[in-house]
Amino acid sequence: MASENSRLWLTYPSKLVTRPVLWELGKNFELITNLRQASVTDEIGIVSLSLTGEREEIKRAIAWLEQQGIKVEPVEINTIEG
Amino acid sequence: MDKPSPYFSNLKCRECGRLYPKQAIHVCDFDFGPLEAAYDYEAIRPVLTRKAIESRPHSMWRYRELLPIDGDPTVGQQVGFTPLVKADRLAKALGIRELYVKNDTVNYPTLSFKDRVVSVALSRACELGFRTVACASTGNLANSVAANAASAGLKSYVLIPADLEQGKVLGSLVYGTNVVAIHGAYDQVNRLCSEIAGKYGWGFVNVNLRPYYAEGSKTMGFEICEQLGWKIPRHTVVPMASGSLLTKLHKAYGEFARLGLVEDTGFSVHGAQATGCAPISHAMKRGTDLVKPVAKPDTIAKSLAIGTPADGYYAIHAMKQTGGSAEDVTDEEVVEGIRLLAECEGIFAETAGGVTTACAKKLIESGKIPRDQSAVLCITGHGLKTQEAIIGKCGEPRLINPSLREFEEQIYSKDAAADAVAA
Repeated sequence: MASENSRLWLTYPSKLVTRPVLWELGKNFELITNLRQASVTDEIGIVSLSLTGEREEIKRAIAWLEQQGIKVEPVEINTIEG
Repeated sequence: MDKPSPYFSNLKCRECGRLYPKQAIHVCDFDFGPLEAAYDYEAIRPVLTRKAIESRPHSMWRYRELLPIDGDPTVGQQVGFTPLVKADRLAKALGIRELYVKNDTVNYPTLSFKDRVVSVALSRACELGFRTVACASTGNLANSVAANAASAGLKSYVLIPADLEQGKVLGSLVYGTNVVAIHGAYDQVNRLCSEIAGKYGWGFVNVNLRPYYAEGSKTMGFEICEQLGWKIPRHTVVPMASGSLLTKLHKAYGEFARLGLVEDTGFSVHGAQATGCAPISHAMKRGTDLVKPVAKPDTIAKSLAIGTPADGYYAIHAMKQTGGSAEDVTDEEVVEGIRLLAECEGIFAETAGGVTTACAKKLIESGKIPRDQSAVLCITGHGLKTQEAIIGKCGEPRLINPSLREFEEQIYSKDAAADAVAA
């Protein structure tokens, strides 16, 4: 299977800010994680992340992140316009 | 291949300032910051004078040195230069000294300001060698891409949410575009569009062509300044979806001032949203630049219902920097805004226009726009596109038989009595 790359913005709610979510992601999925930018406050965490690996594994990882309560957006944030 | 423009120099990351070549790329490799067009203003200054601009045809391309293409525009040459209407009756209704309406409801060819951004994106797409263009949209952008691609002989794909109203779908289908309706939650559709844009080598106007596309919005600001007699308006009220239009009006005023085409006497840009999807307005009111996504937008102003606005952060900074503010209004207020604009100025705007008018009313009432100053409202799309929002809310026709007696009894005499009471 060809390797793909996904560039994503993750938005964490405050209750997840202290949890090592990216470490868990690395343990649970066969993906290369590459952090590009992060901003974490008491209220919210925003992380830009590059994921490289098989397409199905990336899709599973995104579904898992969403199950944890993290909002996952593409690098463009919104691709749909009015 | 056109000779590179001596004025449009690079793409530049808005976060770190790294420079990139003028290709179909839109994100910084280092920090994922958005790329935008950068210009050599010293080269532009001697060329783009008031006299030169005034000698050119009445279209948005009269400011072409400040637009990101290399050669002559090839798509949408007639777009723009819409009327700036001095709105005295609306000014009186809203209680402000001087008011103007920038009327993009009559923009060519698809009756919304999106024709500005699309003509730049598709002109650049042709320069970059694309033969297929695409977009993801809930309405106005889809119509504009379909129409402008058709006239340019480009193949086009329009991606839409599966539950879009029939009227909006028809407004794209008629141009022979490939309309693809996608089932699923907004998040999933959004990510799929990003993947499609990355995979097929198409010119995706609001994704890989976004740095070019977004610059088209500046022409609305350039026209406002020129039509005001080479002045920046003291206040401008702008509808916000992704927030891009507001940031580009801010850039346009700044560029004209930098080039000496207008004097910077101080200006404020204010943002308008519908309360059912107001992530930027709510962040601004909370005093933060952290824009919290709206998971399920709930408003009749669907063209503004972007829950995760890409330019929200930058829009907030533009408003703060200029002393502007944000406001949001309920769906009832949106309908009142549409009717007020129509009844005072004869301009039938879509729901986004109702948002802008109603927010301006609140900004004036709260003193954020002082009553003794002047303002411009940016009205971005025609009301025929969102008729379903006001059906049954503008009264009904009065029915009579073909009888002069009935007309006199049921219409004329009642109206005369009502006029007498009003007087």
